[in-house]
Amino acid sequence: MKVDGGVGLNLSTVGAQAAELEEMGYAGVMTAETAHDPFFPLLVAAQNTEKVELMTSIAVAFARSPMTLANIGHDLNAYSKGRFTLGLGSQIKPHITKRFSMPWSSPAARMREYIMAMRAIWDCWHEEKALEFTGEFYTHTLMTPFFTPTNNDYGAPKVFLAAVGPMMTEVAGEVADGVIAHAFTTEKYLRETTIPALERGFAKSGKSRDDFEISYPAFVVTGGNEEELREAEVATRKQIAFYGSTPAYRPVLESIGVGDMQDELNRMSKQGRWDEMGELVTPDILKEFAVIGEPETIAGQMKARYGDIVDRTSAAYANIPKDKRLAIIRDLSD
Amino acid sequence: MKVDTGINLNLRAIPDAVKAMEAQGYDGVRTAEMNHDPFFPLLLAAEHSEKLEIASSIAVAFARSPMNLANIGHDLNAYSKGRFTLGLGSQIKPHITKRFSMPWGGPAAQMRELILAMRAIWANWYDGEPLQFVGEHYQHTLMTPAFTPTDTEYGAPKVILAAVGPKMTEVAGEVADGMIIHPFSTQAYIDSVTLPAIEAGLAKAGKAREGFELSYSCFVVTGRNEEEYNKSKVAAQERIAFYGSTPAYKGVLDSIGMGDLQGDLNAMSKQGRWKEMGTLITDDMINAFGVMGEPQEIAPEMLRRYGGFVDRTSASFPVSNEEQRAAIIDALKAG
Repeated sequence: MKVDGGVGLNLSTVGAQAAELEEMGYAGVMTAETAHDPFFPLLVAAQNTEKVELMTSIAVAFARSPMTLANIGHDLNAYSKGRFTLGLGSQIKPHITKRFSMPWSSPAARMREYIMAMRAIWDCWHEEKALEFTGEFYTHTLMTPFFTPTNNDYGAPKVFLAAVGPMMTEVAGEVADGVIAHAFTTEKYLRETTIPALERGFAKSGKSRDDFEISYPAFVVTGGNEEELREAEVATRKQIAFYGSTPAYRPVLESIGVGDMQDELNRMSKQGRWDEMGELVTPDILKEFAVIGEPETIAGQMKARYGDIVDRTSAAYANIPKDKRLAIIRDLSD
Repeated sequence: MKVDTGINLNLRAIPDAVKAMEAQGYDGVRTAEMNHDPFFPLLLAAEHSEKLEIASSIAVAFARSPMNLANIGHDLNAYSKGRFTLGLGSQIKPHITKRFSMPWGGPAAQMRELILAMRAIWANWYDGEPLQFVGEHYQHTLMTPAFTPTDTEYGAPKVILAAVGPKMTEVAGEVADGMIIHPFSTQAYIDSVTLPAIEAGLAKAGKAREGFELSYSCFVVTGRNEEEYNKSKVAAQERIAFYGSTPAYKGVLDSIGMGDLQGDLNAMSKQGRWKEMGTLITDDMINAFGVMGEPQEIAPEMLRRYGGFVDRTSASFPVSNEEQRAAIIDALKAG
């Protein structure tokens, strides 16, 4: 199992941070799109590293034209000598329409077309195919030599897609090179919903599971001593309660037979009772979402539980000493 | 007059290139959006220089959401400590709709709104104004703390707009911090169309001309010897002929009484007779679009003609002698 680590968006510090993660044995470094452009930090990271993979996890696809993303993806992949993975997510409707002023409709179908549009553009640039992409949501039919990149040694980046629901997950299986599962996912949900949806997608495009990566940032509850472990447990329960209050994630709670909890969490969230919400997440529920234990046990537990289905995970293990973090990364990567 | 120069989009070459340009005395470096992202080179340029101003000239505005552009502009300005200028242009309809799959409205009105939308976003981030931008082309009404940058020391970048026609030029005067005059502009066109339209825009917004930066890169024909001079002349002729074949630019040829030539050039361009088109461009015409002469004559002539209204230029000086080129740059900067 490969291990990825997140880097911040501060352009002045991200170079050193990425180099440190590379040194620690991380396979990849990832940015999230929050208050800053998610691609600039990866350009700086590329400049300061040699081997580590560079990924957005995630960039907001529908905030951009497939053409600008195809260009960014091409440039970052060429500059990093093939180390870039374009990780995309849909965001939710109000953010696309009211924050980005961009169109939103049928997200799974739109995302499928979005990724296919980028692939058509890359085929035009890299394989000299005519650009004739006319879809329901996107139209790309004009390309001239002047606008065609010529540094084609490394071709197109890999494209990963963040997905929770079965439709978006199936799209990932069909048109992406990998899926980014949500941290708010139980093992049961992964095995009973995510994997079957991916397999339907693979079947549609005749793809083999071997050519596809599943990334899953499992919750890890650990600590250097009893007290730290308890603190991590409380924090993780709160985080699970927070995600659990979102109506769209109800099927994940249903996977372990506690779908009704969603109503209560949602009600409490509207009253701002965040601390109390965490208490609803019982030890049994926590176990379904998280790997829990002393630092020495984490890698073994992760492998036993997810080793047969997960290709890469992302974790910081920030609350334990560096030597123990290094040991987890090494054991997982073996 | 400040002097800028273009940098190409090869990311690996940027660090050495910008160090050399800073040493040569250039005030700024600029990228054009062609077959690569126009902002990545500027991030590396900022990292590998100390004082150089960095600008896109231009990035295709309508290819992007104003929110994305606001974010990119913020990040590059913060990282470069206030050295970034976001230079925007509209491109033309087929490129926006068929290359970028993005909407095209009335370009001047859409551009005005795009710039106002970015300013509303920046006002939200820097001054805590509520984000309630509801326009005809763009709507931005949602912003939360998680998506609000906090490194606001350097605020918003300057925004400059490339314009040719009077409507877009007036929009530049009204809502931008500066304008990029197209190289395919004659003195007569600038006097009769560009400058009055800028004044009209400035008046609408109640802005003074002093704070508004005009950039103009005239054609320059020169060389260290006869051969180099002739080569640069042929290049200028062919490029003027190329622009002149575009129907939208007929107004510029009209400004020097050569409007009829547009039809001929357009017909020849469709037959691919590019070299021959260049031979139709006389010395008088080249002179209308820029300056011709010995290297030491270039800066004084540019200053004489344009010094009164041009704040910066990124004209290229096709002279292979480094000292002669450095002398042109120094003289322009001093003037």
